[in-house]
Amino acid sequence: MPKMKMEGRLIVSLLLLCSITQRFGVVCAEENETDGDFPQNVYHDIGVTRNKIVTAQFECYQKIMKDPDHSKKGPTCSPTWDGWLCWDDTEAGITSEQHCPDYFQDFDPYEKVTKICNENGHWFSHPQSNRTWTNYTRCNEHTNEGRVTAMNLFYLALIGHGLSLIALFISLGIFFHFNSLSCQRITLHKNLFFSFVLNSVITIILLTAVANNQELVQRNPVSCKVSQFIHLYLFGCNYFWMLCEGIYLHTLIVVAVFAEKQHLMWYYLLGWGFPLIPASIHAIARSYYYNDNCWISSNTSLLYIVHGPICAALLVNLFFLLNIVRVLITKLKVTHQAESSLYMKAVRATLILVPLLGIQYVLLPYKPQGRVSSEVYDYVLHILMHYQGLLVSTIFCFFNGEVQGVLRRHWNQYRIQFGGNFAHADARSTSYTASSITEVQGCYSIDGHSEHLNGKSCHDIETTILRTEHPFA
Amino acid sequence: MYLRYRISEPQGYAILSDLFSTESLDYLKLQVPDNMKLLVQSVLCWCLLATVASGVESAKLGLSTEMKRRLNIWLQNRSRRDLSSMSAAAKADSAEFVRPEDVRDITFIPHSSTDISVRVRRSKNTVSAVRRPGCSLGTCTVHDLAHRIHQLNNKLKVGSAPMDKISPLGYGRRRRSLPKLQYFLRQEEGTLRPARRTALLRRT
Repeated sequence: MPKMKMEGRLIVSLLLLCSITQRFGVVCAEENETDGDFPQNVYHDIGVTRNKIVTAQFECYQKIMKDPDHSKKGPTCSPTWDGWLCWDDTEAGITSEQHCPDYFQDFDPYEKVTKICNENGHWFSHPQSNRTWTNYTRCNEHTNEGRVTAMNLFYLALIGHGLSLIALFISLGIFFHFNSLSCQRITLHKNLFFSFVLNSVITIILLTAVANNQELVQRNPVSCKVSQFIHLYLFGCNYFWMLCEGIYLHTLIVVAVFAEKQHLMWYYLLGWGFPLIPASIHAIARSYYYNDNCWISSNTSLLYIVHGPICAALLVNLFFLLNIVRVLITKLKVTHQAESSLYMKAVRATLILVPLLGIQYVLLPYKPQGRVSSEVYDYVLHILMHYQGLLVSTIFCFFNGEVQGVLRRHWNQYRIQFGGNFAHADARSTSYTASSITEVQGCYSIDGHSEHLNGKSCHDIETTILRTEHPFA
Repeated sequence: MYLRYRISEPQGYAILSDLFSTESLDYLKLQVPDNMKLLVQSVLCWCLLATVASGVESAKLGLSTEMKRRLNIWLQNRSRRDLSSMSAAAKADSAEFVRPEDVRDITFIPHSSTDISVRVRRSKNTVSAVRRPGCSLGTCTVHDLAHRIHQLNNKLKVGSAPMDKISPLGYGRRRRSLPKLQYFLRQEEGTLRPARRTALLRRT
């Protein structure tokens, strides 16, 4: 008897299951239907501007209906839709401000729209027409300047990345060609330079082929989202390699007492592996919450997923830089040098390290609000950003004492081999080779310190670092 | 066997996950003795197997539509919460204006009837009207530049704003009274949702 009862229950539960299945099926069918009869193309036919205005209006009415009437004491201007923007209820005597809408090409979304609420609780009426009026005049006041600035920055970026690419390729060629240069520091430099190269290439592709190509963005293929993902990944790689340089230098100079030859494995993981994580999280989050065409928009806070870790890395680098400079100064004081030369050296070391470690972004963290100041900020930051590859390759390859030494030595060998008949050049060439040998020894000595003489502590390493960077004093 | 065929539909996976997670399984556990529990569990396992066997693709599809639906609802709740937090005393007063059912119905329109990209554009507009989101760190300037270049070349937008609407005779003059709108929406009740949207489109 109980068995029968159980079977009955089982059947009931099975029926329940079936009914659930059917219910879900119906829901799904409904969804498909509604999806189907509202084609996407409608919006493109009507036009983006019109669609945006209608959508904003629709939302405005929704919002006004959801908000109850506020029974505040003083007179207030009631919430309204003015034809382009939605205005909340505002207390009397207060000027309400919003960013300009992006309906039109000549509207600058960074400018402000104002609507004044009069003392009597009515919106401001224009004296000429005696009609309620919102001040949109600032939106397209400086449009042409803004356009010129944007194009200037665009060409600045392209030229900067082009020059950076040339310089980086030459320096990578030098690093790979002269085997005598290969020490751990140079290996890190190679990786950093390589990440600079990749970043420059993908940035040029993104700016020219995606951002500048309206048809592609409108078609919205998967490939452009993939290129965005790669761009964010390589962007992260670049900054994390700067972090690697910072960690390496810090370990070498401050914690060097225990340092054997450092394991580069971890640097590779941090430099090439870690940036995958924020880039992937960003891609997933973007595809769920802000899936705009080609992910081209910068108006989303999801970008912090990628730029937050980068900023953290740069902050860590700032700490490393300060610590390195501190140690340098204390060690230099021990050697009783003249104060002025001491500080000169410290300042020089700092200035050298700033572009390598990407400190400039920490020193200019936030964009100012004003029009002129933000334009200046844009120019400064874009120059720093797009020419950083050029700067770094110049300082750490072309101005590097070791590299210069090796190049001089090879040049002299070449001259001795093929230009032996120039007798008058002899004296100069010997002096060159002598100096170059000492400088080459400088490079070897750095490697030697980290490999064998780790007990001999920081002082020698620092002096060798200073010596190697001496030529551009 | 009947169950297996019934359940090996796209939604089978979602249902099973629902079953395992909600109280229906507890109900079965409480009510049935051990041997029956075993039987039920084995049946459920069979269902699971059948669902998996019936094609990973279809199961994935079902799951993803289900996920999308839930995401929509969640986003909806979020935006509604944001809206209500903006008004300090969002209480029953709104009933005299529009019934809560109406509001819910209205707020669901765009989500159930439009695709993702359109929904995204909507949310972007809401926020940009109030404050500008986005990354303001120094390293983000490269995205800003790309976005600005993109905006500059946007041929789909109207090139320049109509001067007459910025002028003293321009925008800000119109203020549609809300009862009229309510009437309009009531009148449209029962018609197809897209039709209602296109009606709005025509009005602007």
